[in-house]
Amino acid sequence: MADGLSGSLAELPLRHLLKMLAAGEQTGRLELNSGLELAALFLRAGVVVHATADAASGDAAVSTALGWTNGSFRFEPGVLHPEVTITAPLEQLLAEGSRQVSEREMLQRVIPSPEVVPRLAAKLPADSISISAAEWEVLAQIDGAATVGQLARTLGRSDLEAVRAFYSLKISGLIELSVEPARPVAVVLAGKPFFQALQTAVAAAMGPLAEIIIDDALEDIGFTRRTLPRSEMSAVAERISREIRESENRSRFQQTMLAALRSHAA
Amino acid sequence: MERELQQFCDIPHVGGAFVCDNRGDVIVSSDPAVLATVAMNAIGREVGRSLLALEASGHKRLRLDFVFDSWRLLAHDMGEAMVFIVCEPGVDAATVRMTLDVALNAWQNDSRARKRLASRRGERKQLATPATLDPNAYRAWTLIQSETG
Repeated sequence: MADGLSGSLAELPLRHLLKMLAAGEQTGRLELNSGLELAALFLRAGVVVHATADAASGDAAVSTALGWTNGSFRFEPGVLHPEVTITAPLEQLLAEGSRQVSEREMLQRVIPSPEVVPRLAAKLPADSISISAAEWEVLAQIDGAATVGQLARTLGRSDLEAVRAFYSLKISGLIELSVEPARPVAVVLAGKPFFQALQTAVAAAMGPLAEIIIDDALEDIGFTRRTLPRSEMSAVAERISREIRESENRSRFQQTMLAALRSHAA
Repeated sequence: MERELQQFCDIPHVGGAFVCDNRGDVIVSSDPAVLATVAMNAIGREVGRSLLALEASGHKRLRLDFVFDSWRLLAHDMGEAMVFIVCEPGVDAATVRMTLDVALNAWQNDSRARKRLASRRGERKQLATPATLDPNAYRAWTLIQSETG
């Protein structure tokens, strides 16, 4: 394995890869990339001695990486790390990783995301229910509006810790969960100053047909000057910019409109 | 080039931007870097391979827009390099694309930027060799080439 080894975690999951490296008594660094998160595991003679993943290190980092079902890996033989943060044998690391993956799946079936809103159940499923002091602390924060994620931050807990607590409360029948209702959003219209800036810029780039060009672009995206929301101003500017053939002219128009959009956003 | 990359960072919901050469290595990045260098290199290599595969299969693309649950990546092929903008999903994509057009035009007219890109010129094909791909990916690559060939 002198030239290293690389591949996809979808084809060769981390647990099999680690077993393979352990069997070959490999020494080196195993880099993992899940898409945005990175992890590095260091092996000495096939034994995992140190690991980092996102903010975690040691056993927790291995457990995190074992949960990645997609991504890529690269093993660089001979690369050592001075730190030793892992002393548990591989079998124990893999067992803990499996336990955490199963737990995450189990929690997800009941609490699908930190965006759900917990509310106190109107009726209890039994005459009496016992809860722990830690669960009471969570229950006392529920206001029927904050999401699980928001409550986790209020309680100073990680999303996972909070989800565990809400899972237990949900299983006990003390709470119900609902998706946060979408709040009505007031539409802010683009307004006259934007169209004045747009008309001037289009006229400078494309000549006297500016008014028609703007109205056509608005029609293409389903708006009029009276109904164009502020959030769609950039889409109109971009659409018109694509019709300017000459690159210098187009760039000048885009710069003018980007400046106008910035000043409208301020 | 740094100034243009910084302009992306001024757009709300944009984390940063970077330029990779055709080997996937970072040439320049917004400051502070939006991702670890190893992650930017990995993105450069993988998107480079995707662009190469699309071109080889007769579907050449200049821009790729990867939309994920929690982030979004816009990639633009400059031929001798690739530009990447890392954003949140709620970004105003039209503003990002216009800013990208302005940056590309500025680099085209800037001899120092042109020289900088030319000094890192390399064949993108070197991203698709038996040494740089795993066996399955290399088999898929040779299949694409043989079918379009």
